[in-house]
Amino acid sequence: MGSVSIRDVRKSYGSMEILHGVSIDIADGEFVVLVGPSGCGKSTLLRMLAGLEEITGGEIAIDDKVVNALHPKERDIAMVFQSYALYPHMTVAQNMGFSLKLGRAPKEEIGRRVAKAADMLSLTPYLDRYPRQLSGGQRQRVAMGRAMVRDPKVFLFDEPLSNLDAKLRVQMRSEIKQNHQRLKTTTVYVTHDQIEAMTMADRIVVMHDGVVEQIGTPLELYDFPRNLFVAAFIGSPSMNILSGKLSGNSFITADSSAINLPFIPASTNDETVSLGIRPEHFALDPNGMAAEVITVEPTGSETQVAMLLGGHEVVAVFRERITTRPGECLTVKLDPERIHLFDGQSGLRLGQD
Amino acid sequence: MSDTTLKLKRTGMPMPLVIVGSALLVLVCLFPFWWMGLSSIKTLRELYTIPPIWWPSLPTLDNYRTVLFESNIPRYFLNSVVISVGSTALALILAIFASYGFARFDFKGKPALQSFVLIGQLLPTAAIIVPLFITLRVLGLVNSYWGLILVYMIITLPLSVWMLTSYFRAIPVELEEAAIIDGASRIGVLFRITLPLSVPGLVSVLVYAFVTTWNEFIFALCFATDSSVKTLPIGLAEFSTEFNTDWGAVMAASMVMTLPIAILFLSMQRLFVGGMTAGATKG
Repeated sequence: MGSVSIRDVRKSYGSMEILHGVSIDIADGEFVVLVGPSGCGKSTLLRMLAGLEEITGGEIAIDDKVVNALHPKERDIAMVFQSYALYPHMTVAQNMGFSLKLGRAPKEEIGRRVAKAADMLSLTPYLDRYPRQLSGGQRQRVAMGRAMVRDPKVFLFDEPLSNLDAKLRVQMRSEIKQNHQRLKTTTVYVTHDQIEAMTMADRIVVMHDGVVEQIGTPLELYDFPRNLFVAAFIGSPSMNILSGKLSGNSFITADSSAINLPFIPASTNDETVSLGIRPEHFALDPNGMAAEVITVEPTGSETQVAMLLGGHEVVAVFRERITTRPGECLTVKLDPERIHLFDGQSGLRLGQD
Repeated sequence: MSDTTLKLKRTGMPMPLVIVGSALLVLVCLFPFWWMGLSSIKTLRELYTIPPIWWPSLPTLDNYRTVLFESNIPRYFLNSVVISVGSTALALILAIFASYGFARFDFKGKPALQSFVLIGQLLPTAAIIVPLFITLRVLGLVNSYWGLILVYMIITLPLSVWMLTSYFRAIPVELEEAAIIDGASRIGVLFRITLPLSVPGLVSVLVYAFVTTWNEFIFALCFATDSSVKTLPIGLAEFSTEFNTDWGAVMAASMVMTLPIAILFLSMQRLFVGGMTAGATKG
């Protein structure tokens, strides 16, 4: 097991810089998820950690040892690829034991460790099969088994679940999480799916355009997004963002309706600001603001309503079963404790001071 | 719906037409070989009979006796084997490394180099005979196995490199990255992952190079004038003299020459099939 320290890491292809100085500290045994839209540099960062891409600038250290110049095999890491990348001409057992065989481990030891990993992943009946004879979920497990037998300092996962169907993805998600709880190996997991990030991570690193937008526990990111990007990225359905102006202790929307604020941020009055409110923080209130219903989507456990509020289209989620139709009017209240304010220009969170 | 079982209607051409068509195609392709085999067991008189005789009244092995015991063909056969195997092996080894480089590494001038590889293939044979002859003479390789092996390698290498490059490119790069993470060196990746998955590509190159060199005539005629290095195609030509041609012997020798190629194709047939990378990645 090991800690990982990424210090001001940069990556350029020619004159194009795609990682602009990323710093992340990962503690021993931690499960960290790198999440962001495609093209944000998260996979590149993972590949640099693995040693598959050169590090243009900065330093990566595993267990306090700088690995910039080390070959992947000297870094003591194991990686699970999005496409599984199983060796098609080898059986499941050979696939899993390949790294040990290359490391000249004795045959009995290879057999023992492969059997142990196969047992953990319930792959024992398939050890003599070839990858083409396995289902998608089984292939995914073999890819994980191949990483596990090595007992590395760090596990790297590069979007390992995105090729699976929705149901299997949820199942594998909890399997990966359980395996991490058993093995306690430091894990860096890349995904573009914020639900995966929220459900699996000890800490999430949100990346965008080659920079780290915020690092924190899932709930920290959810409750206190540092800027508009994180606010909009984390959560599904995503946070509603209304742009408007501040006036006294209220927020004036585009169509001049006022929303009372629980606090006055430290910025000046007539600057444009953005107000963020999550869908579940609306409540039906006869004295609230009027909103025109656009669509209603009942899911059984909750009702999702898209409506026009203060000149913006917003989405609200209600736990109660409300019967309303498009075109009707609802009166809703925003939970004042759950309102987020962001600077209109920089997009940064405005604090309560 | 009626309760009789419904069968899916076949689309496309009706079955009898397909069978007749395929049979006709096979017949056209095999006729020369059949005629070659037939002629090799005819007597000289029957060979020249008009209309042609479809089955000899007295099949004879005399032509084979002539070819195997009274001519230089056995020696030429050995020469052909040595030269073809040698040049094929050399071309395959060099092609593997060159193609892997072209397929997996980015380096300056790669497109230019790749085009240059093909230029050799574009030059007409007649244009390079004289320069090659002079080169071989300077090197002292005229009338030697090595001379022909090198010349044949030169003519088969370009296409082999191109064939293998595209084959290697089709192998998912993640497989190699996974092997590198697992601790393999580049050479280890090539021999443990890439080559085992490229067997159909390697076999195609092997067959192409072997057949090309086995059948080659012009270079052999110019660079091997001594019977200790002459190859089978030259041997066939030697049955034709200024005044007559022993067609029976030519046909028997042709049979002997065809045999290794037929064996090569039949034994490699199974390996041509693709699908080697099935199951490697998402499927």
